[in-house]
Amino acid sequence: MSVSAWLELLASGLITGGIYALVALGLNLQYGLMRILNIAHGEFLMVGAYLTWMAQTTLGMSPLWMVPVSFAVMMALGVLIHWLTFRRLSATSPNLDIFEARGLMVSFGLMFLVQNFASWMWGGDLRGYDYLTDPVPLGAAQFAGNKLLVFALALLFSAALIFVLRHTLLGKGVRALMQSPTGAQLVGIDTQRLHPLMFGIGLGLSGVAGCLLSMAYTISPSMGEPYTVTALIVITLGGFGSMGGALAGGLLLGVIEALGMHFSNPSLKALLSYSVFIAVLLLRPRGLFAK
Amino acid sequence: MTKRPFSAGTPVLTRDLLVLLAFTGWCLALPHYGSEFEVSMALTCLMYVALSSSWGLFCGSTRYLSLATSAFFGIGAYTSALTLDSLPWLASIALGAALAMGVAVVMGAAVLHLRGTYFAVLTFGMTELIRHAVTYFEKKVTGTVGRVLTVVPERDTIYLTVLALAVLAVLVSIVVRRSRFGLALAGIGADEQRAQTLGVNTRLVKILGFAITAGFAGAVGAAMAVRWTYIDPHTVFNPFIGFQTVLIALIGGAVTLWGPLIAAIVFSVLAETLRLQAPQVYMMSLGLLLILSVLYLPGGLASLRWSTMGGWWRDGYQWVRNGRNRERING
Repeated sequence: MSVSAWLELLASGLITGGIYALVALGLNLQYGLMRILNIAHGEFLMVGAYLTWMAQTTLGMSPLWMVPVSFAVMMALGVLIHWLTFRRLSATSPNLDIFEARGLMVSFGLMFLVQNFASWMWGGDLRGYDYLTDPVPLGAAQFAGNKLLVFALALLFSAALIFVLRHTLLGKGVRALMQSPTGAQLVGIDTQRLHPLMFGIGLGLSGVAGCLLSMAYTISPSMGEPYTVTALIVITLGGFGSMGGALAGGLLLGVIEALGMHFSNPSLKALLSYSVFIAVLLLRPRGLFAK
Repeated sequence: MTKRPFSAGTPVLTRDLLVLLAFTGWCLALPHYGSEFEVSMALTCLMYVALSSSWGLFCGSTRYLSLATSAFFGIGAYTSALTLDSLPWLASIALGAALAMGVAVVMGAAVLHLRGTYFAVLTFGMTELIRHAVTYFEKKVTGTVGRVLTVVPERDTIYLTVLALAVLAVLVSIVVRRSRFGLALAGIGADEQRAQTLGVNTRLVKILGFAITAGFAGAVGAAMAVRWTYIDPHTVFNPFIGFQTVLIALIGGAVTLWGPLIAAIVFSVLAETLRLQAPQVYMMSLGLLLILSVLYLPGGLASLRWSTMGGWWRDGYQWVRNGRNRERING
């Protein structure tokens, strides 16, 4: 294989990987911070995608405008869901283990609820719209414009989230909560306010991911589940709760899949990503980059 | 969560056995007077009784949340599909159960040292891995997508087999609850390290319990595959079978004996009445039920008492009063 073919393969892997990292951001925040393994993550992503599609086809709005809108809508929904369910759950659960198991069950319920609401509301057909479909030459290779845009925005959002968590007071409070909830409360961090807010932001980020994905891929009510699984794989690769790890893990998974598919065959893709997932969980359950 | 006394005396044992006997008698009589539709509904119901009772036996008492039921179900289904031509009916079911148990021992040895969410996610991942592997194998090596079962036993044979499996699952639960093995399982659920300190070989007990659960799932899968006459990896390894088993057990009350059975009956009736007219509404109400039961009835349907409803009433009253106070302060 020539050098340029290798580069093209790597670049396409990196682009997919960037999208994976974006998909994982919200789930990582929710699980890393609050131990809520939100299995319904992909479903909220799908709702974000449908909102964008509706705005684009009926109102003619540019999908880019829908990025902040779907963030706001999903964040409001997230705060509401947290207020209705997880607030009571954390008040009534005797310990973190039980909270985690019950939280998992609640999010399973949310998954059924949201997925079937979407298929009842919008029907089961594949939907999509054209946006920046022209190929953009990049060196010798060509990539679809929308995918490049999604990749760039994915990197931007990851970087912004990492920056916020590292350098702002809010971010420091969140990281303190991740390390020790009791300790954070002792130094005056308001858990009651931060938890709903962070759950909302997690959902908002999944809305953004859905909005961006709808630019490049077709959407359907059942699109969510594979993305949930991908997000799970990415955050286990990167280590639960680590944003930098998730970014690296996402890019790595993209490259592994691209290489694996090139050298074996495309129908092995799912098999490959599940094998990576299980291997990492069994061998390095704290993530690839844990010290 | 109220715990059942595990060393409960003979009256409870007699009661449990009598209820089981009455249930069996009623199920035996059903095919003779029920319509085709009712029998097929009862069959689905019995399938979930067997699946969720055996799930509760291990996962309920140890609190290891396994999502791998559909993997064992699928393994059983494929075994009976492949061997039914050459083996007698009961032998192919036994083989399905044995294979599922074998897989469970290997899987259990690999993942049972992980607890909580890790365990749940890993069992789910392994189920999907098996499903994709079987799909790939069928597509590339045997060149088929699904399999059609040509030689199938009569409806009544299938019904009786699944009924026997369901009764056996409940019976095994009754017996295990009264044995040292059951105590060990409950001990692991309460505090695994303490159980270990007290001399329980937790590793062995967990693998054995997981294998029993898997054996039932495999046998049920083997029996149900014949009912469907056409199987492909997507239907028999459907993760939804595993989810629904877990849902039924949890909504009924996974630590209790009769909870899964009650919930399985409720669910089958709900499923059959709603699914055909409005499949999405059925799934949405399933999700809503799950959320509500986790929030307000964490012990499951079997833990429902008059006092529980009193608790809800007090909660609601408190909530309204707080709201009024807040209004008074703000206004």
